Amino acid sequence: MTNRERALNILHYKPVDRLPAVHFGYWPELLSQWAEEGKIPSHIPEQWYDGGPADRELDNLIGWDFNWYHTVSPNNGLFPAFESRVLEVFADGTRRVMNGDGLIERVKPGVTSIPSEDGYTLRDRESFETLYRGKMQYSPERVDAAFFSAFNDTREKDVPIGLHLGSILGNIRNITSVVGMSYLMYDEDESLFADIVDTYAEMQYRCAEEVLKTGASFDFAHYWEDICFNNGPLIDPEKFEDLCAKHYRKRNELCRRYGIDIISLDCDGVTEKLLPVWFENGVNTMFPIEVGTWGDQFEPARKRFGRGMLGVGGMDKTAFRKDRAAVDREIDKMKRLSAMGGFIPCPDHRLMPGTKFELVQYYAEEIKKITP
Amino acid sequence: MGANTVEIINEISEKLQKGKAKEVTALVAEALEKGVSPESILNEGLISGMNIIGEKFKRNEAFVPEVLIAARAMNEGLKVLRPALAGAGVKPLGKAVICTVKGDMHDIGKNLVKMMIEGQGIECIDLGVDVAPERVVEAVKESGAKIVCLSALLSTTMMGQKDVIDALKAAGIRDQVKVMVGGAPVTQQFADEIGADCYTLDAASAAQAARAFFEE
Repeated sequence: MTNRERALNILHYKPVDRLPAVHFGYWPELLSQWAEEGKIPSHIPEQWYDGGPADRELDNLIGWDFNWYHTVSPNNGLFPAFESRVLEVFADGTRRVMNGDGLIERVKPGVTSIPSEDGYTLRDRESFETLYRGKMQYSPERVDAAFFSAFNDTREKDVPIGLHLGSILGNIRNITSVVGMSYLMYDEDESLFADIVDTYAEMQYRCAEEVLKTGASFDFAHYWEDICFNNGPLIDPEKFEDLCAKHYRKRNELCRRYGIDIISLDCDGVTEKLLPVWFENGVNTMFPIEVGTWGDQFEPARKRFGRGMLGVGGMDKTAFRKDRAAVDREIDKMKRLSAMGGFIPCPDHRLMPGTKFELVQYYAEEIKKITP
Repeated sequence: MGANTVEIINEISEKLQKGKAKEVTALVAEALEKGVSPESILNEGLISGMNIIGEKFKRNEAFVPEVLIAARAMNEGLKVLRPALAGAGVKPLGKAVICTVKGDMHDIGKNLVKMMIEGQGIECIDLGVDVAPERVVEAVKESGAKIVCLSALLSTTMMGQKDVIDALKAAGIRDQVKVMVGGAPVTQQFADEIGADCYTLDAASAAQAARAFFEE
């Protein structure tokens, strides 16, 4: 079986010869660490990206079958983006910059942490109408038809490839910051925030539709949201449903019309309160599951939603910083979860600094010995 | 308290919970004009309102946006109230130093905790983001703060919390402060391992824990 066949069979509850050994990439600091330790060639940290040649080279070194996060995307952000510019430079090297979304951030050279949000441009109806609405419209430049048409049925199909659908609310949170989003929802007339969500979502729908019209075929579709944190959602779930449910439904129905029946979503944090909105409107795959960082779990979701809820993830990556016994416990857990069907083990999110190269090799080797 | 006083203080609390900053500001001014004591306005109006929204936040009945707009209303109300509090000799419950640790620029969690702690009547000395351990030690010495709150978003930066604890020990002031830690990757187990005094899951619990330290 090819790795693609293995993955798709599992997510359709069909038999396979063994589990595929899949991952979700690495923090840049880890690749540098491994290069310094002499575990990997020195060019990999600079050249690595999800699904790229350096990623495949690393797959072979470690023993992975493939990186699950192999998606292609139209330009479904602001277009044209704001011109990024430095607004201020502080004595310690920290820079206050406006990014392509119009968000003002504090960034510091050498610090790879998520930046500090320091201001925002989308503040009210006037700024939306004059600065943003035009950048949220569909235009043909957003979809490179020649690029996407290469993803047709004749392409080599050794690994699953996904269509990135963008997000319904995550991109808007990126534009406004959490604080700005909160104020926009409550300070302005109620129609403004809904108008922003609808405008952005309609453009992203059109992008997905135009990609699919090129004849491109995909094994799954994928959203990114990051709209939860360690205490639950960043927004009232009822408000989230009012604003977003119809857009998920419409975009997911489009995907199904084009034969895509695996639709995953990546959301940081504890997602329990938002899962019903996603699941009831066509999102059917948790990827990743964020066991290690956020304490999320797949089993409760499976019990709650039944076999229609699929999963890719669930392996606590922090075990790779410990010892073989900790990895063995995770492998035992992966055996149990895989036996339920519709579940592919994967370390949850990027492998982090401190990860022991040999333990990752061991895990990949052992996972391939499991027949679910 | 007379009926009118109770009514206006309750109204301050209710408007604060709904994040109505302008109305809170106006009500605080009106209450002062009517002779309501600044301390009552603070404790039974503003802090009480923040406590209610904090409890709802803990129970997932209110969410980050509601906390943010309530905290903003509290701050606006405090701007009007602060001169009267000073005039009446009402002092903050105590002082807390707060920051995100070295290498961590992300401060939403830190800002939420700060807002909630201020909502308990505690003065916060906010050192900002990416703060070196030595700077925390310096701030504790300068301010006499009894609490240090350390935030870390990432598994790559959480060890910075231990570095601050080590720096407090090296400076000989570890016993003078309670160290509170939080952030996405932080757990009770991690807090115990690094010798922190307190870990809480959410901002509202952090604020309550901070208040409890001052009331010990």
